[in-house]
Amino acid sequence: MKFLTTNFLKCSVQSCDTSNDNFPLAYDGSKCQLEQDESIEFNPEFLVNVLDRVEWPAILQVASDLGNTSLPPNKPVFEDSNALTEDDMAILRDLHVLLIKTSIVEGEMKCKNCGHTYYIKNGIPNLLLPPHLA
Amino acid sequence: MLPTPYVKCDYDKVYEPAEDSFLLLDSLENEQIYLANRFQNKLAVVCELGPGSGIVSTFMMQNKMPSQNSIYLALDINPWALDATQDTAKRNDCNKVYLETIQSDLTSSTRHNQVDLLLFNPPYVPAETIPEIPETRDDIDTWLDLALVGGKDGMKITQLVLDQLDTTLSSEGVAYILFCARNRPEEVVKSMASHWDITLVEHRKAGWEVLSVYRFIRKTPH
Repeated sequence: MKFLTTNFLKCSVQSCDTSNDNFPLAYDGSKCQLEQDESIEFNPEFLVNVLDRVEWPAILQVASDLGNTSLPPNKPVFEDSNALTEDDMAILRDLHVLLIKTSIVEGEMKCKNCGHTYYIKNGIPNLLLPPHLA
Repeated sequence: MLPTPYVKCDYDKVYEPAEDSFLLLDSLENEQIYLANRFQNKLAVVCELGPGSGIVSTFMMQNKMPSQNSIYLALDINPWALDATQDTAKRNDCNKVYLETIQSDLTSSTRHNQVDLLLFNPPYVPAETIPEIPETRDDIDTWLDLALVGGKDGMKITQLVLDQLDTTLSSEGVAYILFCARNRPEEVVKSMASHWDITLVEHRKAGWEVLSVYRFIRKTPH
């Protein structure tokens, strides 16, 4: 599962929807096995659009769960996305590595509200609930 | 005509692409320009529910729909369908596209109001009951039943998705949902007409079934 996907996943338990703690899920860094997936090429325009869309605090939280605390506290902004500077490109390249290339192959994550644990196996996250919670 | 993905799966485990799948592909082809304009210069989060073989998501990736700036989330309860979707994407040279396969019961796991383009070819066949989700991966007959059977009027699963549409879609979000005549889609349109603009995109007689694809967008954006 690519890092960016963590920005779109919440706890499946319906009653957690009224809580602010159902997103992002809390990833257990000690149990997450990361890999660098080279298949998607760096595309600055795509990344600017991705960045525009993401919830930055959730990116910061998951990055820190996984042991990366080097991200800027505020979402990077680009003066002119049609004329990206060298510095902009360097930032975008770093974000490409984090958001697109970094993938969690095996791992687990928990809802901060109800504590339910979900698993990632073989790169595929399983957000199904057991019958008593569904 | 846009190219159609080459699909080769074990159809004992996932739904084999049929008239309904192809009607959805044709509908999306009709909508290609509309969608490209609607999601110009921004990221589009495409979410397919119940991708089965992966033919629809792969078609979207292959033809860069709605645009090159898209990520694709394929959500299925059936673990075999997730494998098949990955496999179909690879077979059609979509390895360089952002595709995530997620085991999930409909949209219960997606953060609210993030889906820009929702695609759903539901289990729409009327039946008295819907089987429980199997406890093991190997109960393939039940997994396959879940891809077909839609409870009363074949609407049980579709209705769950329609009830969640407002919390699923982003402010500019669009949904394409397939119905058969026995689902009584005209009544769905009537009941949702106060808040949604609903358009019939395609319909076709397929054997003894009449299938249709409707487009849903909000009347007033969030």
